[in-house]
Amino acid sequence: MTDVAMVEMRGVAKTFGALQVLRDIDLTVQTSEVVCLIGPSGSGKSTLLRCINFLEPYDAGEVRIEGRLIGYTETSPRRPMPHHALQKMRRAIGMVFQHFNLWPHMTALENVAEALVRVRGFSRTDATGRARAMLARVGLAEKEKSYPARLSGGQQQRVAIARSLAMEPRLMLFDEPTSALDPELVGEVLQVMRDLAAEGMTMIVVTHEMGFAASVADRIAFLDHGRIVASGSPRAVLHESEEPRVRQFLQTYHERNSF
Amino acid sequence: MDVSLFLHYGPSLASGLGVTLLCWAAGAALGVVLGFAIALLRRLPVPPLRWLLRALIEIVRGTPFLVQLYLLYDGGPAIGLRLADIPTGILALGIYGSAYFAEIFRAGFDSVPQGQIEAALSLGLSRGAILWRIRVPTMLVAIVPALTNMLIILSKEVVVLSVIAVPELMYQVQSMAAETFAAFETILALALLYWLMVELVARLGRAAERRATAFLRAA
Amino acid sequence: MKLQAALDALPYLLSAAGTTLWISLAGIALGQVLGACVLLARTARSPALRRAGAVYVSFFRGVPLLVQLLLIYYFLPYIGIDVPPLVAAIGALGLASGAYVSEIFRGSLAAIPRGQAEAAQALGFSSATVWRRILLPQMLRISTPALVNELILLLKASSLISVVGVTELTRTSHSFAAATYRPFEIYITAALIYLAMNLALAALGAVLERRLAAAG
Repeated sequence: MTDVAMVEMRGVAKTFGALQVLRDIDLTVQTSEVVCLIGPSGSGKSTLLRCINFLEPYDAGEVRIEGRLIGYTETSPRRPMPHHALQKMRRAIGMVFQHFNLWPHMTALENVAEALVRVRGFSRTDATGRARAMLARVGLAEKEKSYPARLSGGQQQRVAIARSLAMEPRLMLFDEPTSALDPELVGEVLQVMRDLAAEGMTMIVVTHEMGFAASVADRIAFLDHGRIVASGSPRAVLHESEEPRVRQFLQTYHERNSF
Repeated sequence: MDVSLFLHYGPSLASGLGVTLLCWAAGAALGVVLGFAIALLRRLPVPPLRWLLRALIEIVRGTPFLVQLYLLYDGGPAIGLRLADIPTGILALGIYGSAYFAEIFRAGFDSVPQGQIEAALSLGLSRGAILWRIRVPTMLVAIVPALTNMLIILSKEVVVLSVIAVPELMYQVQSMAAETFAAFETILALALLYWLMVELVARLGRAAERRATAFLRAA
Repeated sequence: MKLQAALDALPYLLSAAGTTLWISLAGIALGQVLGACVLLARTARSPALRRAGAVYVSFFRGVPLLVQLLLIYYFLPYIGIDVPPLVAAIGALGLASGAYVSEIFRGSLAAIPRGQAEAAQALGFSSATVWRRILLPQMLRISTPALVNELILLLKASSLISVVGVTELTRTSHSFAAATYRPFEIYITAALIYLAMNLALAALGAVLERRLAAAG
């Protein structure tokens, strides 16, 4: 098993109508690796991430999770995978969204426990116990009875992370997890993600937080117009890349973030 | 006006009120169940079924309730549908209501943010679990005001059943009006009673909405 | 199913549909005048007027139209006025739609940013001028879709005036249904005529809405 990559993308392409949003994407992520996807908005980072758990069906190429093709059957010609098989594969892949997407009619605790009951088949009591532990892990033990509307953005995002972690995923996808947060709330979410990386979780993170990418990522992939135009260690991409699009992007980023 | 008249007619008025409430409750329940079923069926990826249901909804919403009632009551036997007056009235209210309830449920389903569904999908929830645990509860909260409004509209349509001699309140009041020659006073009393009833339901609806959406408000 | 009965009745039903249409138009015209008056009352300085406006809306929206219809039908002779059922019917439709129309007007007034009237006042416009030049033209545009919708509702509600003896589409189909023993076919035809009128009105409303939106 150890020689099978956690995620292997080969020649992945995706179009929305006439617009090609992903072209010829190759990306391999090993177990315990942290990979950050960066690039200008509209470059296809989020679409790429959403192809990995097939929330966005890709048109061509392959996405394999631990060697298994996701979204399609292995037959030729391939057909869409049955929903229950897809569901099963998604259990191993946690996802955290820009806008948290907590269920507003459930408390923090219920949000975390729901999938444990419905998907993992836990009893209510066991699910509640596990959910409590998860909330404690993200520092929100005292907020378990709060509905999402009563939580700050940073707290909501930590509940969303706990909701994913409770399912014991082997891979975590983060889609701009701090972009919707007020600046002073970004840190608490990034800290949870840092801890998770330190524990050896395999993570793919779409982010605009260059500081986080530089210090936590094992590898950075830079996307532009649906292609990976640069990829390598944070140092190689952020400091040594000769690729003009990367330099342009970083220059704009630094101008905007200096005062 | 003589109060003793109302005492004399008390029993028939009480039974009329009972029939009104029965027709309202049963018609609304039927309408909600049918409307919910229609809204669910319209989500199936079967275009002909969608067109058919859409057409049925448009037909019911585009025609007067009284014409639908006549069609069912006078025209029903011609196609083998023979029902007593009260069941006919309930069925008519249910069919009429179902088209409006179906649209309310559809709008409610449409209002559920896609991100909440994606979060459920990414956790591996089944379609059934997503429908019953995420879509339906969120939708129900969003449609409380529209549901209350439709219940009020249905309560007012019950008086139309008097036209086919369903012995509801309006029918009883009209008999009383004819026998006592105090038509205006009795109808006025009915109007005031209805006014009170509708205000009450509207208030209960607003209270229900406040309760149902309490968790959506920040502290 | 015998279509002949429906075909024979069709010319009469169509002519009765014309009656239904003009009664509904008369009803909503009256409703707009009353609705505007009620809105003025509800935005007036006098608390008594505001209260009266609110009671009007609450009463006519809370009481079933058929009850209102009979109330007026019996009320007029009660105070010694004798009018034909048609007049009473149009009056009842107008009174009822006045309550809904005033709410439509109120909603469209609320949709106009407050700053516009304040800007006009700051320029020294009289409040009558503010109404006539700033608020009313916009209210008309904003409320058009809702008014067309109200007309459609009124057209359907007008079937109830058949009960007090006005010979419109529903009453005519009722007579034909009884006379021909073909109620199913006759009522289906009547329903389709109502549907056609409503769809046509809805289409007209959509066109108007686009025109007014384009006129900005």
